[in-house]
Amino acid sequence: MPKEHAIIVRVTTLLLVLLAISFAAEPRRISVYAPQASYQVDILVREGIDYVGVTDLLEPLGRIESHVEGKRLKLTFNGGEAEFQEGKRQYRARGNAKLELPGNFLLVDGRGYVPAASVGQMLPRVTEQPAEFHAGPRRLFIGSTQVRFSAELRHSPSRLVLSFPTPVSPSSLIEKGRVRLLFRREPVVSSGADSVAYNDPFLQSTNFAEIPGGAEFIASIQQPATVSIGDGGRTVTIAAAAQPVASPTASLPVTQTPATTPAGNSTQSRTPAARAHPFVILDASHGGYETGSVFSPTLMEKTVNLALARRLQKELDARGIPVVLTRIADNLLTWDQRAVSANTSHSTLYVALHSSSSGHGIRVYTSMVPPPQAGQTTRSFLPWESAQSPYLGQSSIAASTIAAECGYNGLPVRSSAAPVRPLNSVTIAAIAIEVAPLGSSADELGNPEFQQKVAVALASGIATLRGKLEVAP
Amino acid sequence: MISRKLQYVIASLVVAILAMGFYLVHLKRKAESMGAGPVTQALTAPVNGPAEQMTLYIASDDDDSLRPTAISSALPSDPGERGRLALHTLIIRYLQKDSPHPLGPGADVHDVFLPDPASAVVNLNAAFANSHRSGIEVEQLTVFSMVRTLKSQLPQVTRVRFLVEGKTRDTLAGHVDLAGWLDVAMVTDAFKEAK
Repeated sequence: MPKEHAIIVRVTTLLLVLLAISFAAEPRRISVYAPQASYQVDILVREGIDYVGVTDLLEPLGRIESHVEGKRLKLTFNGGEAEFQEGKRQYRARGNAKLELPGNFLLVDGRGYVPAASVGQMLPRVTEQPAEFHAGPRRLFIGSTQVRFSAELRHSPSRLVLSFPTPVSPSSLIEKGRVRLLFRREPVVSSGADSVAYNDPFLQSTNFAEIPGGAEFIASIQQPATVSIGDGGRTVTIAAAAQPVASPTASLPVTQTPATTPAGNSTQSRTPAARAHPFVILDASHGGYETGSVFSPTLMEKTVNLALARRLQKELDARGIPVVLTRIADNLLTWDQRAVSANTSHSTLYVALHSSSSGHGIRVYTSMVPPPQAGQTTRSFLPWESAQSPYLGQSSIAASTIAAECGYNGLPVRSSAAPVRPLNSVTIAAIAIEVAPLGSSADELGNPEFQQKVAVALASGIATLRGKLEVAP
Repeated sequence: MISRKLQYVIASLVVAILAMGFYLVHLKRKAESMGAGPVTQALTAPVNGPAEQMTLYIASDDDDSLRPTAISSALPSDPGERGRLALHTLIIRYLQKDSPHPLGPGADVHDVFLPDPASAVVNLNAAFANSHRSGIEVEQLTVFSMVRTLKSQLPQVTRVRFLVEGKTRDTLAGHVDLAGWLDVAMVTDAFKEAK
């Protein structure tokens, strides 16, 4: 009987696994990359055939007008006309009446659908732009949007440099033994050999593949690594991680010495190592009656932010990195006071700390100011609202480095630009970090173990940044 | 040797699991088909005229994304009213029970003004801002989804500003800056970089 039970268990498990795999599949969408926009379009499955909405595809690309007459869908796209008929393969576009789809055209609730396999041939007829559809990963490239890259292994120190013709901003996940770069928004495609063996002490091999919703580049590494983005997003460097510098002051007792900034009301705390030139200024956001998010009757964002700042300060101290805090108590600072504190602290990096119950993991933000104009430098006279402009490059380096380190520490992370105060007015590298729980409960934000994990990851990222950022004037 | 009785049990189990699998796949496809269809919901004042396509950029808290969703609706020709209707429709979606990005009760947009063809001013009601959840990500998703939805209806608009009950407000709910103009191109680029 035990043998019979084992058979039942195995058969049942196998069937359930097959069932689970079929349900765990990615939502079926086509990723579209066009000069105007990158977007995704849902796939409609009818009788086993993938269909895609004509207007969903065309709307982001230009001016489209469409209307249904009986079984016909007539549309005008940027002045050119096209006509489809329900249940028919033949269609007409820009005067050409002898065109054919690989499957019948569908009309569902007044919306037109064409077989997904046809979009590579159909779109150029309608838009007069070349289009290339990669059926496997369901990626559609309109115009000459494909981005090809080159990879070069450099030495002393060992590092792999990926060069792109246009700026990219991949998300990176650093795990033991491999670095994974995921290009979700960029139309990155293969540049030749997808798998390359290097057999270097640092880098074993690389592999590139297009996947549904993007493309991934995987580097198999044999040492801990960091990922940095440079040249305005045109290069991505995977390098062996530097060992943390031993702290000459780590054993010294930490005493906090409040000091008044020119802003008047803000308070800074400096550790002994910070008295000369702090490397980083930590800003625990909110404070006083301005509580930020209220996670529960006993847990508020201002409190979590300050606790995170203190833990991060301690971790940075242990690494010998000079640090100051904008506030050490439950007091309110204005946006301008925070910016003035940062600008007069002689620090190299400003980090605003936030927390949120929405989402999961770490979000790293840079300012959403316009890029610097030609000839504009850090010594130029700049409006207060856009003073961050000349420092955007350094801020991006800081964001990508810290994001990479969070990924290496097992924290889900994403980064983007956002209109968050006071980043626009800070005249050093400046980022905002929002910490969200890994699980579904906001109580995790108040958990000391969770806070410590986040603080260690952020401190590692800031430590990696030393030497990458120029010293603030 | 497997007994006859056990063979019947295994065969019944296999048939039951396969049947359940096929039925669930059928339900999944049906759900996908329905999901790709147009969003049907009540708009505000009925507008005469032929139905037009409108793209809503719907925020999703689950994956921090904006998802373009096309719907059909009769739209007014006046640009301001057209923009207001698009944002109102978006807000209605956010107020539904299964909202991927819930807003507080009573949230709505009063007006959309175009002081010049390239600039749009969105006047929100107090409930929109006062009941909004607090956080950079959640506020960013709201603002960016509104800017991109507005842009889809008013392609000539290059910058957008938000007011609350006709007055300037520093932030939406403590984080995202509402005090200045938002550059539409930068909003689009920022989310290209997201994730």
